[in-house]
Amino acid sequence: MSFEHDLLAILPRLRRFAASLSRDRADGDDLCQAALERALKARDQWQPGTRLDSWIYRIMRNLWIDEARARQRAAKTFAPAEAGEHVGHAGDRDIEVHVHLSDVDRAMQALPDEQREAIALVLVEGLSYKEAAAVLGVPMGTLTSRLVRGRGALIELMGEAA
Amino acid sequence: MTDIDEAMLIALVDGELDEVTRRRVVRAVADDPALAERLAMHRRLRERLAGHYAPIAQEPVPGAMRALVEESGRVVPLVRPAQRWRGWVTGGAIAASLVLGLSLGRLTGGEGGPIGLHDGVMVAQGALAQALDTQLASAQGDSAIRIGLTFQRKGGGWCRSFDGAVAGVACREGDGWQVQQALPGAGEERAYRQASSSDARVMATVDALIDGEPLDAASEAAARAKGWR
Repeated sequence: MSFEHDLLAILPRLRRFAASLSRDRADGDDLCQAALERALKARDQWQPGTRLDSWIYRIMRNLWIDEARARQRAAKTFAPAEAGEHVGHAGDRDIEVHVHLSDVDRAMQALPDEQREAIALVLVEGLSYKEAAAVLGVPMGTLTSRLVRGRGALIELMGEAA
Repeated sequence: MTDIDEAMLIALVDGELDEVTRRRVVRAVADDPALAERLAMHRRLRERLAGHYAPIAQEPVPGAMRALVEESGRVVPLVRPAQRWRGWVTGGAIAASLVLGLSLGRLTGGEGGPIGLHDGVMVAQGALAQALDTQLASAQGDSAIRIGLTFQRKGGGWCRSFDGAVAGVACREGDGWQVQQALPGAGEERAYRQASSSDARVMATVDALIDGEPLDAASEAAARAKGWR
């Protein structure tokens, strides 16, 4: 089967992963689109016989992290001094804008990036710990501790609704 | 009380426990209502999250996204030659020998090779040694070598994982870096590369060596400032 055929087959899941990382569906689709462009351009670097989805999860995740860092830099550069306390959770203000978000969206956004990506890969995408650790480039122990912390935070944020 | 911790409950929910441990946790949960409640909470959380995002994967994919992939299929030939090994090694056979036994001749032969042999020990040299000495994972620039994780090894001392023409793990010994593992790397064009089989093995080495967690950016910079002492 062709690269494109395989890619089309996993597109719905890639979109879902992008949505779980992003603050809303529109941002998720932008991220997914950007990751697809990168993947198509870099297709030579994918090794047939290995998991295509893991490869693109990784591309997508790297794009997302780059973008998050750029946002943080911008926040640090341009935020007035009294807004300094908000730096680091740029999410807070965004959440106020997107008031229609569900509890789950809101809780996911409040998580630190490193916990959110671990939660998204394992709980939403259903990757094994080993696969998720490889996508994120972290040891298993680091992945599992992020999963424990991330879940604790989600349960707290979502309250009894969890 | 039992010795079942949160990580074990979670691993049970995620289907990551081996059979023996799984049974142990299930037995402990059966005897402990508080533990059972925590387990149920973790199950609900996983179901709620998965259920929340599941409908997205059921929706039709937007036309623009689908078109992007389909267009690419028409323009680009289906099979293109792999470029992974173009660089300082060429050909799958050499790649295979690297995987199996590590072709030291190739690795160490050239003046500019990344790894030298000193008293039978693999030692980083040239650009690799320099990257290990100075490069921070948070500021890699255009370097052909990428630094992955920096961590303290069991028994003390710093180790760093790296990737480039060669991927692996090196640990500080005296004033140099002793290479613990060397595998075929992702090559120099790696911004969007996949998780290769080497990655999994490098990660296994990190798992075996690491004491605690990898350093964050600030601690990494501090360790460099102290000259990896």
